[in-house]
Amino acid sequence: MVLVLFALLVSVFLVLPKQTRSLLQHLGQPLAQIVAFPLGALAALDRSLREAWGGYVALRHVYDENHRLRREIEFLRGQNSELREVATASQRLAALLEFKEGTGSETIAAQVIGRDATSWYRALVLNRGERDGIRPEMGVMTQAGVVGRVVKANSSTAVVLLITDPNNAVTGLIQRTRDEGIVEGTVRGLARMKYIPLLSAARVGDTVVTSGLTGGFPKGLVIGSVRSIERVEGALFQSADITPEVDVSKLEEVLVISTPRQFDERATDAGSLLPKQPEKRER
Amino acid sequence: MKRALYAGLVLGLVPIQTTVLQYASIGGIRPDLCLIAVCLVGFVAGEREGMLLGFALGLIQDLFSAGDPGLNLVTKGLIGFLAGLVGKLLANATPVAMLATLLGLSVVSGTVFLMAVRVGEGLADLFFVTRSVLLPQALIDAVVGTGAYWLIARRGQADQATQEKHGPLW
Repeated sequence: MVLVLFALLVSVFLVLPKQTRSLLQHLGQPLAQIVAFPLGALAALDRSLREAWGGYVALRHVYDENHRLRREIEFLRGQNSELREVATASQRLAALLEFKEGTGSETIAAQVIGRDATSWYRALVLNRGERDGIRPEMGVMTQAGVVGRVVKANSSTAVVLLITDPNNAVTGLIQRTRDEGIVEGTVRGLARMKYIPLLSAARVGDTVVTSGLTGGFPKGLVIGSVRSIERVEGALFQSADITPEVDVSKLEEVLVISTPRQFDERATDAGSLLPKQPEKRER
Repeated sequence: MKRALYAGLVLGLVPIQTTVLQYASIGGIRPDLCLIAVCLVGFVAGEREGMLLGFALGLIQDLFSAGDPGLNLVTKGLIGFLAGLVGKLLANATPVAMLATLLGLSVVSGTVFLMAVRVGEGLADLFFVTRSVLLPQALIDAVVGTGAYWLIARRGQADQATQEKHGPLW
């Protein structure tokens, strides 16, 4: 019976193919609509699953890429920092070189490689020594001003006692008033100018320069500026606290003055020991 | 082994003291590694070795310090000798004993420097330097030195235990 029905259907399909398909189409329409709901739902689920998977996979790639980019950023940051350091160093060295050429004096450039081996002195250790021509008592400066003086010179290193150490003393001159005195370091890491004449008109903010009379310093090299002035009643002299021009805590390169005399010959306005003539007023 | 250690201390401590130790300073005061080493050696190995190491380290320290030549040599030699005496007198070498020894000897060393170095003018400056250099220096030396002693003692105990278990290490 079943076989007969099957044979009948096949023969109908074979004899009337177009009509059969059209009939089946019409009959299947509502069924297709019903099936369309779960199909759509499943398709949506499939799509979302595929999207989720695709997103996950993509995220995995993004994560890896992010990781790689982060490493690249870190590397570039490091490189940038190194380049900035090199740029800063070259700027510093160029300024030092320009200053060195400008002074016309013989100087020896040196790098600061350490601090005093004890905590009792404010001193620096330089990477140049006797072999390079450095001798004790030579002055040390930067383009900003006086740093200190060499107290010890080994074959390849030298020890510089800073201007802020109480054991150091340099003859100074108040640039505006031309009053001389002795500049010493203080225990608080500053400097103090002593033996300023009582009649001196020095005031806060005045620049103090080297007088060139002693030590390895030329005339006119900036030591610092007057911070405060102390006048004790009955004393023969007055004294002034000085803020050093050079920040000795941040020194990296310095110049050791090997022939300070040459500065004297080129003495500028600051170098003259004679008091300044008052300007003539026109009547 | 001991000679190599002493040679290492003599050649390595002062360069460390002058260069990298500035990054470990507290208020501008760095631990005096030479004093600590001399104290430890004197305390553990006796006054002779302490004094000799003190002379050697002091000599090198003098080369890289702005002070008068010989000041560190004499001071460190004296400290090594005194540390040796203290080590001999004490029955039990404990970290507390080491702390007290280092504190006392660093104060002795600081006092020698205070007398030898020009620290400004008047009592006010003297008190300022005592308060801002001598005492903090002694405190830092004592703490760092005691820490080092504790580490060495622990290492010594561990080595001893290993030796008892497996025989001599070298």
